[in-house]
Amino acid sequence: MDQEMKKKANPESPLRQAYDFLSGFKLATALLLLLGLLTWFATLEQIDQGLHPTLRKYFSWRSLWLLPEVNGKIVPLPLPGGYWVCALLLVNMILGGIVRIRKGWRQIGNLIAHFGIIFMLVAGGVSHHFPQRGNMAIEEGTVSNTAEDYFEYVVEVAEIIDGEPQNIRVIGGDEIDGLGSTHRNFILPDFPFDLQLAGYLRNALPVSANERAPDRSQVIADGYWLMERPGEVNAELNTAAIYGRVLREDGTVDPPFIVAGASFHPFTVHVDDRVFTVDMRKRLWPMPFKVRLNEFTADFHPGTGRAARFVSEITRIRDDNEVMVTIQMNEPMRYDGLTFFQASYGPPGAGPGDSLYSVFEVVNNPADKWPEYSLYVVTIGMLITFLTKLGESLGRVKRRSKRHG
Amino acid sequence: MDESSQNHPKPKRGPSFAGRVAAGVLAFFGMLAVFYNLLQDNRPQGQIRVVEGYIPWSAEVLEAAEPLAVQDGGRVKPLSSFAGFQMLAIHGARSMRILDAEDGETHRLTPTAWMLDALFRPHFAVYQPTFRIDNSDILRAIDLPVRSRRDRYSYEDLRPGIRRLMETAQRYEAIESDDRDAIQQQTLDIAYTIRSYEILLRYFDFARHGVRLHGTGRDGHDDQTAGISTVMATAPQIREQIAESQREGGQIHPNLQVLLEQVLDASNLAKYGIFLIPPHHEKELKWQSAGDAIMGVMTAADPHPVETITNIKELENTLDASLTGDMDEFATALVSLRDHFGERADGRGDTRFISLETTYYRYNLFYNALILFIIGSISAMAMWVLHQHRAGRWLSWVTLGTTGVATILCVVAIVQRSVIMQRPPVGNLYDTIIFIGTAGVIFGLIFEWFTRKRFALGLSAMLGVILIMLARRYELGDATDHMDPLVAVLDSNFWLATHVLTITLGYSAGLLAAVLSCGYVLLRGLRLVDNDRDLRRSLSRAVYGAICLCLFLSLVGTVLGGIWANYSWGRFWGWDPKENGALLIVLWTLAILHARLGGFLHEWGLHLASIFTACTIAFAWWHVNFLGVGLHSYGFTAGTTAIWTFYGVMVAFIAFGGIAAALGTKPRLPEKERSTDTPSTATPESPAQPTEA
Repeated sequence: MDQEMKKKANPESPLRQAYDFLSGFKLATALLLLLGLLTWFATLEQIDQGLHPTLRKYFSWRSLWLLPEVNGKIVPLPLPGGYWVCALLLVNMILGGIVRIRKGWRQIGNLIAHFGIIFMLVAGGVSHHFPQRGNMAIEEGTVSNTAEDYFEYVVEVAEIIDGEPQNIRVIGGDEIDGLGSTHRNFILPDFPFDLQLAGYLRNALPVSANERAPDRSQVIADGYWLMERPGEVNAELNTAAIYGRVLREDGTVDPPFIVAGASFHPFTVHVDDRVFTVDMRKRLWPMPFKVRLNEFTADFHPGTGRAARFVSEITRIRDDNEVMVTIQMNEPMRYDGLTFFQASYGPPGAGPGDSLYSVFEVVNNPADKWPEYSLYVVTIGMLITFLTKLGESLGRVKRRSKRHG
Repeated sequence: MDESSQNHPKPKRGPSFAGRVAAGVLAFFGMLAVFYNLLQDNRPQGQIRVVEGYIPWSAEVLEAAEPLAVQDGGRVKPLSSFAGFQMLAIHGARSMRILDAEDGETHRLTPTAWMLDALFRPHFAVYQPTFRIDNSDILRAIDLPVRSRRDRYSYEDLRPGIRRLMETAQRYEAIESDDRDAIQQQTLDIAYTIRSYEILLRYFDFARHGVRLHGTGRDGHDDQTAGISTVMATAPQIREQIAESQREGGQIHPNLQVLLEQVLDASNLAKYGIFLIPPHHEKELKWQSAGDAIMGVMTAADPHPVETITNIKELENTLDASLTGDMDEFATALVSLRDHFGERADGRGDTRFISLETTYYRYNLFYNALILFIIGSISAMAMWVLHQHRAGRWLSWVTLGTTGVATILCVVAIVQRSVIMQRPPVGNLYDTIIFIGTAGVIFGLIFEWFTRKRFALGLSAMLGVILIMLARRYELGDATDHMDPLVAVLDSNFWLATHVLTITLGYSAGLLAAVLSCGYVLLRGLRLVDNDRDLRRSLSRAVYGAICLCLFLSLVGTVLGGIWANYSWGRFWGWDPKENGALLIVLWTLAILHARLGGFLHEWGLHLASIFTACTIAFAWWHVNFLGVGLHSYGFTAGTTAIWTFYGVMVAFIAFGGIAAALGTKPRLPEKERSTDTPSTATPESPAQPTEA
């Protein structure tokens, strides 16, 4: 009663109220439910929209709020973006589950578990922001030191010397991604021209104007225009495209041209006797070492088409140092911050004796093992809590047995 | 509380009569559904068909044939297992009844007997009601008479329409599978089924007819016939003669040409169906069919022709023995065949678990467990009715005994499966059902030990009935051998033993919590235990404990899954539907616990939320498989109605509970007790307000 009166007499400061709110069970429950709802809608929406666009919509930091879509129909239920829900949950857990929680032996398990989950969320955040992933396809007996990004298209400008691309300048995906209706000039100091890029499309196909007229007054470049296509459900199948113009040193501007992921050949620029190419392709990612595929084996369970084992025998080459490594399902190669996973192989329908290629997924994730470490922490914490409660229940059973017996 | 009520407290209210009637009606319909289901599984499929002069196989023949090793689905298994799944796929059941009109006797065919008929006595097999055709429009389309709904069709029934059916199927085959309608797909399925059965019927044609040697009939006699093994023994000479003809630029002799065509036909007919010849080479994994063996010798591809010819000779002898009609002789021939192939197969280690698997299917422990669970469920209902009586105590022992023995049977069967598969017990959906069922019952018995209210005990038996029935239904619908090896990415005993077991145990705990809460809703909603506060609190504690266990196992299991995914696919979390389903369970149970700790969920709320846990589990366990996306999509659609029915039932429980709670079914307790019902500290049974440092 006294406390209540005291409370009335000294109303809590706004800061204290905010702290109480941010660290409270009410917020925790609401955030958990919201996250559950977002996860459920994201699961259903990816059926039609594909995983990548759905993740962008639900869990990108750019997405502050969203309207779910199920079976192609908008659900009139505005929801906050998952990224921010997770961020708030992290704050709530730090304040409520670490700072505010009652300290004592009975709470030690909960404290450890909360700490583990916070660590896991941080790991999720790091994995969300900083990983690099790509794939490397190598034929048996050949060597490679580059992986290709799954999604990011870049514009590559190079000078062709002795039939080989030299002095390569890469314009990254983040620099061209926003160029929908606007254009941007890219200064190329090592080249005798600059480049103007505009009208970037994530998934598009160059179409001959003779075969089909532009439907929205698109620019026709060298007899072709870019037809936008809906994003593929598997976003790695998208083929990006963009319009470009060469800005020469004398101030003249060439007619527009198209570079596209779906094109077989780059656009060629001639300046005096020199030849340059402008191409659009997925970003290449150089590795700090080389990989040679010695042998690839695909085993199937006898008499079936069910895969039993995919094994790549490789040699990892760094300077003069060669190391033999086996990569197979569930047994990746981890080296120098990079992890190589057995992803797939080809060509499809290859028969005995055919030369095979192996595809590795290459990942650079600073938080690679963090979830594993956090699991140990969470498990210890929850086990302590669970065993404590179990002990209490057993004690109760024992007391009751004594009472009755 | 006024003074008079304090001085004269109301007498304790007994259970509501209307509630007991409603519970009785519910229990009656529940048991009716169970018995209907059992009956559906076991009663003859349609009208019993007459097979004139049918002679059943002797027990010795069946005993000799059952452990015969064959390779199928990527592993070596007994003929009885192979036959069981073939029969399930074609016939839709593991047994068949036929009538011999002569002696009026009804014979029940086991899968092995049915398979032996198809292989060795096709003249009987073609009259057996083997084919299940659910859509009569397919039969009408090929002008065949339609029988009643549950009836099966014999090969002879279908024979007049088979050619037309195959032509139609060929047209449908050209349509992309996603674009086919239901009838087109079913037509194709039936065509494939008939083709598979024809392969079995004609598998032993090479031994049954041999090879007719054209030009050997003299003086008006018929041409002579030779066994195919005899022809195989002359393969080098035949090849020499062909080579000589080619060298001379001439044509192969017409008689030789006819002989080769017969050999080719015989080998083609026995090329598929049964792979029962173990390979010679240690590194060679694929077993041969009779057709492979014949062609291997004839084309000189086989490096061990002498042994292979002996193998084919052994098969010919077995067929000859079956034709004598002497069961003992046939049984001896089968044993000889088994020993002949078994010696090599044993040496390779392929047949280590054949006898264990034969025993597994012969004793059918899950079926026996189901019967015991049903007895346990009936006994539990009687136990609840006679709770206070002495009979009630006896019935509790009956319930405990039957449920306990049934659980032991399930555990033994699961262990047997693990030994046979050489991997942890859960690797596919079928495995999950039996494992979750068994684990759920074990958890239930543990909770009973804690609460001692005979409530979790009865519900455990019922959970056992429901889940074993589900397993039987799933196996029937899928008709696939779930002990076949797994695909490469799943083939990791470490992760199957950690991630998969943990997550499925989490499902068990969550489902048990939901079942207990459904019981709570019925008890309180129907006013069956109006004043038994102790029971209510025990139930709430049990449910809270089950939800905590579900959270612990689901969270650890989900993270373990993430770590496995990181090892296999290079990412910890991919927002795959199955991963999301597991996350939903974790988030939901976390929300329940936080809401409970925050004081937003009291007893009713806890139970209603616990029932909804079953919906999240059903979504994660089954529903995500229907979505057709993600790395865990198994591409099946059977059971979509069942899953929506399940959601409907759970929502109905929640709605009923919600209404009951709103209408104030709160028990009338003395003031003192009522005040202690309000939670004050952060214990499972009594949540608290947020705690401060």
